[in-house]
Amino acid sequence: MANVSVAAEWQLLYNRYYRKPELYPLRWKNIDLSRNKVACAPFGGPIAVIRDDSKIVQLYSESALRKLRIFTSSGVLISDTVWKNPGGRLIGMSWTEDQTLICIVQDGTVYRYNIHAELIEPNVTLGKECFEQNVVECVFWGNGVVCLTEGGLLFCIPDFKVMRPCQLAETGAEDLPNCMAVIEPKYTVSGNVEVLVGIGDRILIVDEDGVQTVEGEVVQGLVQKMVVSWDGKFLAIFTHDGRILVTDINFKGVLLEYNCESALPPEQLAWCGLDSVLLYWDDTPLLMVGPRGDPVHYFYDEPLLLIPECDGVRILSNTSLEFLQRVPDSTVSIFKIGSTSPAALLYDALDHFDRRSAKADENLRLIQKSLPEAVEACIDAAGHEFDVSRQRTLLRAASYGQAFCSNFQRDRIQEMCKTLRVLNAVRDPEIGIPLSINQYKLLTPSVLIARLVNAHCHLLALRISEYVGMNQEVVIMHWACSKITASLAIPDAALLEILLDKLKLCRGISYAAVAAHADKNGRRKLAAMLVEHEPRSSKQVPLLLSIGEEDTALMKATESGDTDLVYLVLFHIWQKKQPLEFFGMIQARPLPRDLFISYARCYKHEFLKDFFLSTGQLQEVAFLLWKESWELGKNPMASKGSPLHGPRIKLIDKAQNLFAETKEHTFESKAAEEHAKLLRIQHELEVSTKQAIFVDSSISDTIRTCIVLGNHRAAMKVKTEFKVSEKRWYWLKVFALATTRDWEALEKFSKEKRPPIGYRPFVEACVDADEKGEALKYIPKLADLRERAEAYARIGMAKEAADAASQAKDGELLGRLKLTFQQNAAASSLFDSLRDRLSFQGV
Amino acid sequence: MAQIPNLDNSPLNLKSLREQSQRDLVKILKDIRGKKCLVIEPKLGGTLSLIIQTSLLKEYGIELRHLSAESVQTDCSKVVYLVPSQRDLMKSISSHVHDDISKGLQREYYIYFVPRREIQCERILEEEKVHHLITIGEYPLYVVPLDEDILSFELDLAYKQCQVDGDTGSLWHIAKAIHKLESTFGAIPNVRAKGKASVMVADILDRMHTEEPMNSSDMALSEINTLILIDREVDMITPMCSQLTYEGLIDEFLRINNGSVELDSSIMGVQQEGKKMKVPLNSSDKLLKEIRDLNFEVVVQVLKQKATSMKQDYAEISTANQSVSELKDFVKKLNSLPEMTRHINLAQHLSTFTSKPSFLAKLDMEHTIIEASSYDICLEYIEEMIHKQEPLINVLRLLILFSVTNSGLPKKNFDYLRKALFTLWKRELLHSYGFEHMATLNNLEKVGWLKKQESKSNWLTVKRALQLIVEDTDTANPNDIAYVFSGYAPLSIRLVHNAVLSGWRPMEEILKLLPGPHTETKRAGITSSPSFATLQGASNGLDKIADGRRSLVLVVFVGGVTFAEIAALRFLSAREGMAYDLIIGTTKIVNGHSLVETIFERFG
Repeated sequence: MANVSVAAEWQLLYNRYYRKPELYPLRWKNIDLSRNKVACAPFGGPIAVIRDDSKIVQLYSESALRKLRIFTSSGVLISDTVWKNPGGRLIGMSWTEDQTLICIVQDGTVYRYNIHAELIEPNVTLGKECFEQNVVECVFWGNGVVCLTEGGLLFCIPDFKVMRPCQLAETGAEDLPNCMAVIEPKYTVSGNVEVLVGIGDRILIVDEDGVQTVEGEVVQGLVQKMVVSWDGKFLAIFTHDGRILVTDINFKGVLLEYNCESALPPEQLAWCGLDSVLLYWDDTPLLMVGPRGDPVHYFYDEPLLLIPECDGVRILSNTSLEFLQRVPDSTVSIFKIGSTSPAALLYDALDHFDRRSAKADENLRLIQKSLPEAVEACIDAAGHEFDVSRQRTLLRAASYGQAFCSNFQRDRIQEMCKTLRVLNAVRDPEIGIPLSINQYKLLTPSVLIARLVNAHCHLLALRISEYVGMNQEVVIMHWACSKITASLAIPDAALLEILLDKLKLCRGISYAAVAAHADKNGRRKLAAMLVEHEPRSSKQVPLLLSIGEEDTALMKATESGDTDLVYLVLFHIWQKKQPLEFFGMIQARPLPRDLFISYARCYKHEFLKDFFLSTGQLQEVAFLLWKESWELGKNPMASKGSPLHGPRIKLIDKAQNLFAETKEHTFESKAAEEHAKLLRIQHELEVSTKQAIFVDSSISDTIRTCIVLGNHRAAMKVKTEFKVSEKRWYWLKVFALATTRDWEALEKFSKEKRPPIGYRPFVEACVDADEKGEALKYIPKLADLRERAEAYARIGMAKEAADAASQAKDGELLGRLKLTFQQNAAASSLFDSLRDRLSFQGV
Repeated sequence: MAQIPNLDNSPLNLKSLREQSQRDLVKILKDIRGKKCLVIEPKLGGTLSLIIQTSLLKEYGIELRHLSAESVQTDCSKVVYLVPSQRDLMKSISSHVHDDISKGLQREYYIYFVPRREIQCERILEEEKVHHLITIGEYPLYVVPLDEDILSFELDLAYKQCQVDGDTGSLWHIAKAIHKLESTFGAIPNVRAKGKASVMVADILDRMHTEEPMNSSDMALSEINTLILIDREVDMITPMCSQLTYEGLIDEFLRINNGSVELDSSIMGVQQEGKKMKVPLNSSDKLLKEIRDLNFEVVVQVLKQKATSMKQDYAEISTANQSVSELKDFVKKLNSLPEMTRHINLAQHLSTFTSKPSFLAKLDMEHTIIEASSYDICLEYIEEMIHKQEPLINVLRLLILFSVTNSGLPKKNFDYLRKALFTLWKRELLHSYGFEHMATLNNLEKVGWLKKQESKSNWLTVKRALQLIVEDTDTANPNDIAYVFSGYAPLSIRLVHNAVLSGWRPMEEILKLLPGPHTETKRAGITSSPSFATLQGASNGLDKIADGRRSLVLVVFVGGVTFAEIAALRFLSAREGMAYDLIIGTTKIVNGHSLVETIFERFG
């Protein structure tokens, strides 16, 4: 039976089966891992190879200059470049999550390469101390690195996307650490990276803020090597006495212990999924240790490199790439020798069916009840297979079983087929990304597409994103940019055609981003043509600026109605151009001009004046000067009554002259003149009265203050000086006298001559001051009967009020007065009777 | 009772909107690890009190401060500023940072701009050389639900910035806010705008639609049927009149801020010397919901009635034998007792203002101006106010009302001085209130609130055509919106009413008499039932939704709306035969006082 051969390749570790199918025979030639430093990206990523300069190796027919070469996982060369970077020996090399190759050299310089072996500028340095002390070791994780210097200091780049190095706390120990391991920030409580450092016979936990010593008895004595599992929960430790230990990350409890009987630490120590640990010494078989049972030995006659993945380990040798993984349960249930599980019987049934044997039916009948789970197992097992024909057989088995299931989720098979198509496509040796299904799910399709795009497999990426129903924008965008970079020889118009043809496939794509790329590649004209097609002004405008199309930018920004964009353009031009040119550009455009004025009003007074002068708006300058005059007044240095009024008045005079330049502003000019005059008079008043209470009050207030102070002469002077009307004068004087409660003077004033506004001000002033007696002097003199009635009412004289109202023959007023007097029953009835009489009269 | 309004009865799911804003804020605060000091601009703080309870913020290890000129006193090493994007605030923040530097304090600074970061602000930070020390973020709060039917964009200065400074940033903000609403509740198929700024908002909104096209599936789901944009400029008359509804009066005399009013606690019958207390005013208060939009006269009667009936109930309960269920009813009624006392206290406080002769005289004058019955009496009255140096804002309200209804201050009269009356008025104002008001006058002219009379006023025609003056208004059982001003039906609401019922077309002639252009658009491809009839008949108004659901109209006031106008709108939507629910959007709730105040600008 075919099944037997499948299981024959498995190894048993305690009760678990392991298998290591070959993913690829490597296509590269003459690569010897032992001569080279090699960095392999997880998730089936690329392999970077460079001759190891820490080893003495024999040069064959090759240049003395080292070459950095980047291969796919199948050993196809993607790119290469000559390594000419200064800074000493290459210490650490690793791939980031977004597949940038990080190379750290002795002096702490970090060089970054993309997958096409192009150096990504700028180079970053880890800092002065690294430069002085030399880096001796680097521990990478997906998105960061920790470096150790000869001086025992630890430096860290917590995030390769930001590239901001920081120093970790000093361990204080004199010796250099024996080994280090990193707990990624996403797995720590603090959210910062933590480094486990084995120094002497202690283990320290170091982070940015401090150092902790690990307590407890789990680990005793010197530790030679440590590795953290990929989920950050467990730690594998190789101790001084040759034991391998696995504990949980907080050092609580030992989950695995095995004596390897080797004093030397393994060259490589790696987790295989979460179930077992691999140890590799270059002269002994590869050792796999599980929690229980005898370890497994794998024999190799060439150097190896272990590449941990989330669900296994890829084993790279000079000639092949294998994938060591625990055999998935579904696969075990089908292919285990002698298995009688429903899934195995189903698989067997298909075999019989194909051979037209009646046993197929028998098998099916046997597993009738558990058919759905058998189908499910077949689908699952198919997903884990790398071999396409076996995938097919398993799926056929599932499909065969499904036909006899009444209630099975039918799209499961379809889904799996879809996934497998994608996986098989990228596993193709030409592409060389050997993802397992678990890795694919963890990586997510969008990241996979990004990687394909990055490797310039645009067509495949586009097809996949279309196939799995994702937005194709990323792919097309990247394609367009790459196309521009690669098409230096194609003329702008032709290239635009080519680009537009593809860009229109995707609605809402950012033409501006493509245009920006064109501009970066020195194709300004193409950029201008592309940006025309961008519908979003917020993207369009900045780009127009960067390609020097200020006028268009200003126009587009204004059209958008987004003032923030207009400001963006304004500041840009303001900075770049001469003031006069700037003024010229905005003068005829209302929105930009008004925004500029509004901004400059707050922060650039002098510049604003220049603007108004250059555009002939003298009155605006005058307003600014006038405003400044007040600020001078507010200045505590210009305390009241001091000669500093001089400069203040001078500013106002200047403003007045500017106003006078234009006919339309005679009023303002007059007002400024009056203001200056008023300030002078107020200043004099302050000097003569020795009271600093006049400056900055209004003309009316000045008159009042004078009267309150008893200085009637001064009040009169202000009155004549500013031609204050008689009416206003009467109100002011009456109120001022009432404030000082000078009732005698008030009466005298009332008799001076017949007041031009009647006696109402007098009544109001007295009533407000609650002086009924005084009020009564003037109420009878009120000419209007209604006013008289209300005045009486206000001082509570109901009868008099009623009389006056009835004299005025105003029924509505009577009603209102009644309401006022409602509390008083007697008064109320009085109003009622009067009103009744009125209404009779009406009839 | 909480200041955060209960939104359960809203015709739109405003609750989800508010929850989103809450989550956004909490996320910002959570993302900044550790202890931090949150410095909020005071006005924004008021707005946030409608979104989230401050006590809730404290749970995230936050010390709360208000932004002021003084530097921040705190032990936290992280200072987070939450401020609106306003230029003037940047100086304070920069000075705080400089202050800390000079004291040798090392802190991490964050500024979160509401609703978005703006280059003009960052530019100032750059000029003050602090930009590189600050991490800048955004808190995209464009809309705040004030109540179940009111949304505020919280743009206090929108009107002034647009009309005086020519800074139309707020219009973009409004469009963005509406666009955001559309992304939640579906694209709005009908848009009607009147007034220059409104039309601009509609244009920007259209642009946003082309820049970020919505999926056609979103369109089908549109919950809001029509958007009506009304520019404050179209009707400056209404806000200048004294509001006479209960809530309107509270706002006129006591100022409602963010859905609550601050009072001396003695007014509310709590004996605590000089202590202020906040009384929330929103529809969670059932009694308020009943009386807020009534004419104040009626409110007094309603309260009296309720009090008497309660007293009766109480008398009965203490004498006769009561069944348990009757007792239960009584106790239920007792629950409304705190609300009763609250509003009786408030109403009593208000009546001390409304019974003043000066208030009645002012009302009289407003009506005289609106009815345009006599120039001279009005002008004399206003002149006297100036002579008495009454508060400038009161004077300006009447003067503006006069100028707007007469399309300027007339030239005739006052021959004795032979000067243009307009100049004369300005001179009087400067003399009485000081020359520093030159800038205010300048602004008033810029926005067109005060001007020389140059053409005949349209007011009489408009007034007649729209029946703005309604004689014999029964305030207790109103049958027209005119009850909110005891006889004057607000122009803005008449326009909205007509726009809802029949669109602009039948009233084009009148619209032309009012300031600003008007537009009416039907967005292609959004109509829920694209039958020939609806495409043709823009004039026959909104498409009725077949399943009997009431369709929803969003009325946005660009430049602010008053409580009286809101009352009138609610009255409309509650009337029989109105198949529409109205949601009101506004830059801010305003009244004549606050509007004039924004235009105020003193030298110095």
